[in-house]
Amino acid sequence: MLLSLNWLREFVPYEGPVDTLADRLTMLGLEVEGVSRPFAATADVVVGHVLTREKHPDADKLSVCTVDVGQGEPLQIVCGAANVAAGLCVPVARIGTVLPGGLTIKKSKIRGVESFGMICSESELGLAEKSEGILELPAGLKPGKTLAEAMNLDDVVLEIGITPNRADCLSVLGLAREAAMAFGLPLTMPSVHLKEDGPDASTLVSIRIPEPELCPVYRARIIRGVEIKASPAWMRYRLTAMGQRPVNNIVDVTNYVMLELGQPLHAFDRSLLAGNFIEISRAAEGMRFNTLDGQERVLTTRDLLIRDGAKAVALAGVMGGGNSEISERSTEVLLECAVFNPATIRKTARRLGLSSESSYRYERGVDQPGSLFAMNRAAALMAEVADGRVLPGIAEAEPKPWRSSPIGFRPAKAVSLLGIELANDFCRKTFQGLGCDVDLTTADAWTITPPPARQDLEREVDLIEEVARVYGMDRIPAAMPKMLKSLEVPDRLGAEVPFMGRLKTWACGAGLRETVNYSFVGQQELDLLGLPGEGRVPVANPLSEDQNVMRTELAPGLMKAVRHNLSQGNATLRLFELAKAFTADSASETTVREAHRLGIALCGARFGSFPWPEEKVDYSDLKGLVEQLLSSLGLPDAQYAVQKDHPWLSPCVQVSLDGSVLGVMGRVLQDVADSYEAKAGLWMAELDAEALMALHQHRSIRFRGLPKFPPSRRDVTLVMPSTLSVGEVLGAVRAHKAAILEDVAVHDLFEPEGAPEKNVTFRVTYRHAERTLTDKDVDKAHNGLCDALSKALPVRFQ
Amino acid sequence: MSSGQALIEELTALAGEAKNTLGQASSFEALEELRVAYLGRKGRLAQIMAKLPGLTAEEKRQAGQTANTVKEELTAHYTVRLEGLKRAQDEAMLAGFDPALPGRSHPTGGLHPLSLVSDEICRAFSGMGFEVVTGPEIETDFYNFEALNFPPEHPARDMQDTLYIGDNILLRTHTSPLQVRTLLSRKPPVAAIAPGKVYRRDSDITHSPMFHQIEGFLVDKGVTMADLRGTLTFFVHRIFGPDTLVRFRPSFFPFTEPSAEVDISCVMCEGKGHVGGQTCRVCKSTGWVEILGCGMIDPNVLKAVDIDPEVYSGFAFGMGVERVTMLKYGVGDLRLFFENDVRFLGQFA
Ligand SMILES: [Zn+2]
Repeated sequence: MLLSLNWLREFVPYEGPVDTLADRLTMLGLEVEGVSRPFAATADVVVGHVLTREKHPDADKLSVCTVDVGQGEPLQIVCGAANVAAGLCVPVARIGTVLPGGLTIKKSKIRGVESFGMICSESELGLAEKSEGILELPAGLKPGKTLAEAMNLDDVVLEIGITPNRADCLSVLGLAREAAMAFGLPLTMPSVHLKEDGPDASTLVSIRIPEPELCPVYRARIIRGVEIKASPAWMRYRLTAMGQRPVNNIVDVTNYVMLELGQPLHAFDRSLLAGNFIEISRAAEGMRFNTLDGQERVLTTRDLLIRDGAKAVALAGVMGGGNSEISERSTEVLLECAVFNPATIRKTARRLGLSSESSYRYERGVDQPGSLFAMNRAAALMAEVADGRVLPGIAEAEPKPWRSSPIGFRPAKAVSLLGIELANDFCRKTFQGLGCDVDLTTADAWTITPPPARQDLEREVDLIEEVARVYGMDRIPAAMPKMLKSLEVPDRLGAEVPFMGRLKTWACGAGLRETVNYSFVGQQELDLLGLPGEGRVPVANPLSEDQNVMRTELAPGLMKAVRHNLSQGNATLRLFELAKAFTADSASETTVREAHRLGIALCGARFGSFPWPEEKVDYSDLKGLVEQLLSSLGLPDAQYAVQKDHPWLSPCVQVSLDGSVLGVMGRVLQDVADSYEAKAGLWMAELDAEALMALHQHRSIRFRGLPKFPPSRRDVTLVMPSTLSVGEVLGAVRAHKAAILEDVAVHDLFEPEGAPEKNVTFRVTYRHAERTLTDKDVDKAHNGLCDALSKALPVRFQ
Repeated sequence: MSSGQALIEELTALAGEAKNTLGQASSFEALEELRVAYLGRKGRLAQIMAKLPGLTAEEKRQAGQTANTVKEELTAHYTVRLEGLKRAQDEAMLAGFDPALPGRSHPTGGLHPLSLVSDEICRAFSGMGFEVVTGPEIETDFYNFEALNFPPEHPARDMQDTLYIGDNILLRTHTSPLQVRTLLSRKPPVAAIAPGKVYRRDSDITHSPMFHQIEGFLVDKGVTMADLRGTLTFFVHRIFGPDTLVRFRPSFFPFTEPSAEVDISCVMCEGKGHVGGQTCRVCKSTGWVEILGCGMIDPNVLKAVDIDPEVYSGFAFGMGVERVTMLKYGVGDLRLFFENDVRFLGQFA
């Protein structure tokens, strides 16, 4: 909401600094977000009196004028406007003046005649979007006076953020009420003098409202004999300052009064209205209606229409129709002043994407009793600026008159909620200052009746807020709450947050950088990864195509972070993300299952730079991280099995532990990696953080005594087919279950190039719990193991 | 010559030879080889000593004495050479040593700045006794709006442009649903904070469609707005330093009443409104920056979770983690948080 200070001063005699006003309003909850001087650029322009005007000797369309600008000799100015004439008062930009467009006036020679300034048009002064000819000022202005002073342009405009509850402040009047209360100044309403003449409007038009809930009051006045033209300068400049584009005198009056008093108004060309009644009723499903912005709107039965005897003429509270709007030919106006159901207006405005100044105010609620004054103010202004005659009487229907709702207020409750000591006298004065009726009959339970403009005051707590607001919320002291709280904590509390924190801490320690990626991606990104179409959770109203579905896996988001970094030349990446993946789940209250995932992405160099050797990351790096994670969580070794046909990883290894799948890891398919600029290969893991949490919570920590006797180790090198996994060998060793076999590990690997076999050395550790093993003991056990292996697997010994 | 005398001469010759060879041993390995050769179990000294049993008692005594002396000498030569070699090795380590050669780097991990700040905020409140709670990011209209006193078709809903999944299913627009979920599941007194991702249908230079909030609330008997101010002042001082000023300004949120915006004195210009004669771009010369919204929990919200507003009262507050992070670290561009450039991420460890 914009607020012209000059306009405000017509209501409240505030003469203090703008900053003080802005601060006070801000601290009353009416946040001043900006202060501007809309006409500051005209500051150097002065009033000039055209003394003489002669034709330019060498140019038909130019005139040479002498202009009195109040000081020194009259200036010779060459002017191209057709309407320049001796005797006119005009705005003059002298040499050195900078006009709003940035043009600096210089002494110049136009077709051989010297010119010492410029006579300006309204558009050159930034007072209108376009204009014809120079601006003719009212006669009798003193030459040399600044234009700003002469035309009341020395205005300051405050930009104020109005919260949705303060519908009453969407007008100069509403803000003036606040300013009057804040500074203890009187509030003066504009005076309205209606000179009524002619037949009674109520005999010409009747109002029909079949559903009072949708339209509690509808009034209309008729103004005859209007002449449609531009509004007078003062009105146009004021509308311009308030961000409203002037249209014509009748439309401008409706906008002017809306800004001034907060009541939306609409003017119909009465000659275009059929019949002798106005009806406010619902649209028919699917009916089409052309609003005055030239758009055809398809309506539903939830939309409210204004109809004449034959047709729809306006979309109630939102926008008028093209078929009845004021035009240059209009001579008779039907001025509508109504109140509509806020929710109805809001639904229509939102569905049609058509928020107007009018619908904005109706949605938030307008002052029903105050609307009559607004209509009369507008009618009087129309008579004034369009030379119209206001017919006596009002065509009206008010099937649902406004009723005030008294509210109880306990001063003690306010004190206990705010934590401040409040004097009863202060509270009483505050309510009175806000225009409330205060009944103190019961000392500790007052009855407060708010004014009709304050529809937001419905409950005691609303009144307490008003008291706090006026008292000054910033004056509330700081105290620390004391809370007597049971130390009992429900079991389900506290598991998730610490565990996810633990995962993050591990990842940092493992040299991974955390990324935060959007939870939504584009459907085409899930398609690119070959992820299934079912189970996806699309966003119904996405901002863009690349944010139209929730991630079913972290990968597409994490890959974007990889792409961004690679495009910036950050070639070595060790990234992680801990976030939720979303899949459809009809059993869920929200129709969606959310699951925490831990994603890891590695690409580029394995180590840092020199003195490390240059090597690229591979599977062993990724697996090493996963193994370290499990071990840091106190979990046993997992099983790693190749998963065929994974949509975006190959090789893809499924990690599982005791039958529960923990996730997958592997190399991103090159085709996919390429589309994320990872030409040198990208290794990723995606783990189920909740499965990890469950395993972690159920692990048991039991101390095992340290061995007292030394181990004995034997290495065995197997020649085995390259297709045989070392996992099978390890499995077979563990399955062998020799009593003194403690551990087995891969010790060395040799894969001759091109050969169908590989040599793998395993180191087997033997230990007896109660004595030192002899060579004989170990030989016997080791030979037994080798026999078992050669029987169970296609291996031979080197 | 008696064999005793011959033995003694042998020992003396050994001593002379060993003195030279031990003294010239050029490496630890060579020295060790010599030690074994002379002093080992099967070494030269032992071999000579093996002949002792064939001697007379007197010869034995003399030869034994000489053998002991020779052994001590050899051991001494050995020790001197060993120490000499160690010294030489220590000196060799120093020669040509360049301390400026790069270390063998290990990858540095780190938390995202939003995590760091979110954790710091959570720690400040959990230190006061608030418990940390979490909840779903996709919510029903009931938890996100209705129970929070946003009636259907109320203009307050325009304050939070919503991304929808289905008819009444949406991406939560704030962390406030956790107030409802938490208060429905336990009885006052309750003090909790809820960090998490939130979503709005809004994307431009100052708005991200996904961002992070931290909601906090406390419900008990006799909770006042002064308690709210004290709690938030403590928090601001923890995060931004004890000299930071706190300002409460009336505002509006459907789920609190009275409601306030909290401003802090500008971290860039320390509330002066200008830096080095230039208008402060952080506070636009007002000296204040908005940091969070708060208020006393609206009686309608308490009623929605079956708490009697005549008996209990409570406060709630919510803040944007991005905003706090930007102010705290001077990050000027919101988009940096979601680009995840490692050169950006690496600055906040
Ligand atoms: Zn500043």
